[in-house]
Amino acid sequence: MLYVVLFFLMVSLLLYVILAGADFGAGIIELFSSKQNQEITKKTVYRVIGPVWEANHIWVIIMVVILWVGFPKFYNVLVVYLHIPLTLILLGITMRGVSFVFRHYDAFKDKSQIVYDWMFRVSSLLTPLFLGITFGATIYGEIIITDNYTSLSFYDLFIAPWLNVFCISVGLFFTALCAFLASTLLIGEAKSNERALFVKKARVSNVVVIILGFLVLSYGFINNISFVTDFIKNPYTIGLVTLSAILIFPLTNSIKKAKKIKSRFFAGIQVVLILLAALIVHYPNLLITSKTSLSIIATASSDKVISVLGMSLIIGGLVILPGLFHLFKSFKMIKVLER
Amino acid sequence: MNNLDAARLQMAFTLIFHIVFACIGMVMPFFMIIAHKKWLNTRNPVYLKLTKSWQKGVAIFFVTGAVSGTALSFELGLLWPEFMKHAGPIIGMPFSLEGAAFFVEAIALGFYLYGWDKISEKFHWFTGVIVGIAGVASGILVVSANGWMNAPSGFDYIDGKFLNIDPVKALLNPAWFTQALHMTLAAFTATGFAVAGVHAFQILKKRQIELHKKAFKIAITFGAIAAILQPISGDLSAKDIAKRQPVKLAAMEAHYETSTGVPLYIGGIVNTEKKEVSYKIEIPKALSFLAFGDFNAEVKGLNDFPDDVKPNVAIVHYAFQIMVGIGTLLLIIGILFFISLKKKTWWNDNKFWLLFTLLAPMGFVALEAGWIVTEVGRQPWIIHNIMKTKDAVTPMPGMVYSFYMYVVLYTILTVAVTWLMGRQIKSLNNSKIEA
Repeated sequence: MLYVVLFFLMVSLLLYVILAGADFGAGIIELFSSKQNQEITKKTVYRVIGPVWEANHIWVIIMVVILWVGFPKFYNVLVVYLHIPLTLILLGITMRGVSFVFRHYDAFKDKSQIVYDWMFRVSSLLTPLFLGITFGATIYGEIIITDNYTSLSFYDLFIAPWLNVFCISVGLFFTALCAFLASTLLIGEAKSNERALFVKKARVSNVVVIILGFLVLSYGFINNISFVTDFIKNPYTIGLVTLSAILIFPLTNSIKKAKKIKSRFFAGIQVVLILLAALIVHYPNLLITSKTSLSIIATASSDKVISVLGMSLIIGGLVILPGLFHLFKSFKMIKVLER
Repeated sequence: MNNLDAARLQMAFTLIFHIVFACIGMVMPFFMIIAHKKWLNTRNPVYLKLTKSWQKGVAIFFVTGAVSGTALSFELGLLWPEFMKHAGPIIGMPFSLEGAAFFVEAIALGFYLYGWDKISEKFHWFTGVIVGIAGVASGILVVSANGWMNAPSGFDYIDGKFLNIDPVKALLNPAWFTQALHMTLAAFTATGFAVAGVHAFQILKKRQIELHKKAFKIAITFGAIAAILQPISGDLSAKDIAKRQPVKLAAMEAHYETSTGVPLYIGGIVNTEKKEVSYKIEIPKALSFLAFGDFNAEVKGLNDFPDDVKPNVAIVHYAFQIMVGIGTLLLIIGILFFISLKKKTWWNDNKFWLLFTLLAPMGFVALEAGWIVTEVGRQPWIIHNIMKTKDAVTPMPGMVYSFYMYVVLYTILTVAVTWLMGRQIKSLNNSKIEA
């Protein structure tokens, strides 16, 4: 049952990264568009993510609940030592959610739209940035687990583990990835005369993702960060990364030709491969701290708790997934896949 | 301000904020589907207009409730890491089910908001029903997790360790039913009176009277019925607390000396130094009866509890008085509403609408006061008789800044949502209803 729970944790993480990532990216694309294109993007974004964005963001709650129920000690380290970036993520999620709804449900479309638009765009950029930073902090290896909180400075305990070049690069990498996912998604949903806009965005963001990914690895390699040095040694990781490198060619090709299904499929695969490669490096030691690494399996709750959690997830999944699928289908997100 | 106080204030502040939005987001869908059903049955365009206006309200309140709820799911761990480390696995069941219910709600709401003219009329309406049911289920499950903090169960506490965890038993803890019932009725009362009050104000101002009267009637019917049923649930809660958390009951009533045939105090000013209550109204033997169903039952007083397990008596007592006082008022007004259905002339009297306008915020005041009774009344424990709040707080210093940030953020959001609602109503009043 432990592996069922871990499977759900991984699936929630992947779905959150892909679905919510595309949502965040939509705001980023809007931010980096010319004034005229911003309007086009805004309309397309509303049509595409309006019905589904709320559901997309629940994956993070599922993740958090799985972590605190199933792996409480693992969760404990995250919330104690990464309190600040997590709070900033929450700030971003809050601002983004409300501004998205406010701008579409405000009864009068006047100057206040400017405020909502900027709130939406900026928080769409900052939220994935801090998500990436948080993820970076779990693999950077500077978190100091201690019971004696007064022996070390506030900076060393609560800031240094995440506010550094490596974590910020990971944050930027994830932000670019979100923009890439969104533009790939929007290609298929845009009106034919507006499609070229998103094709261009997808190609640019794809290049940015590759460059940033390369920078993260080089920086880590030069500074001897164990995650990176192990990343390039682990045969599974190398396999996954090689596969993703090969698949970039059909991906860029299908984006260039504005193929809806193929580009989405290959973009999704890219994210899955990159994340799996990152997770597999030290598995099950998913959290690397200054002295040791923390195995997620070692922090698992008792068998009874895990089996109840696993059952709840299976039952919950059986209720939710058909509904979710139907929602996507009804609003034409999956329709393109069926053609 | 020390770290513990800052963390407690932040938790209190974010919960007070979240509860309002969560309740409206949970209850308003019921008003919306009633109006929607009436539109489907009568094809009266006023009902369609009303449904669509309420739907916008639901969307705005739902998203604010959802994002503040997401923040809370993190805050539990961010503020109280030691609590979540031990309690997380035990109360995971209500939270994971709540996650599922919330998911269902979000999916159904996606269908409802964006489904007009796209999916079949019946299915569209039905998705609205699901939004309502899933919302109430979410609320009940979250309250059940809170119930566990008051009535910890489903584990053995041996040498500071939580062993033999049984998540199902923890979900069905002794407090879950009374608390969930009380809160669900409170949510319907508070939202019913709040929404009715907003529409009553519009009627008072003679704007779109036909629509606002229809809206008023739907909202207040829910609110009035819930307010009339609430005393039954209150009685169950009181008896339950008398049994399980006698110190909380003593604090609610500022009852210091253990005695038999204890009177019920109404109002009064608590002097915690002298341990007495002045300027109160006494109802002889009523507390003994309400707590134990026996006029001569013994009720344990605060003096019989050690100082380090007592909550802040004054806060709990005043909050309890406010809750019960307003609850009683809304019960009477609820009955008056049903009488007004027979005496139609009342509906032409401005005083009638003024009364409901003034009552608009009262339900929420009572609801927040009730939560203050529950939460402050449980102190100093975060898990009753097991773990103290001060032992659960985050070791990270500087929580006061986090508290300030949330105060600023949620104050802005409250102002923004109120302003948006004002604009919705203005736009509604300016529009024409076409057949």
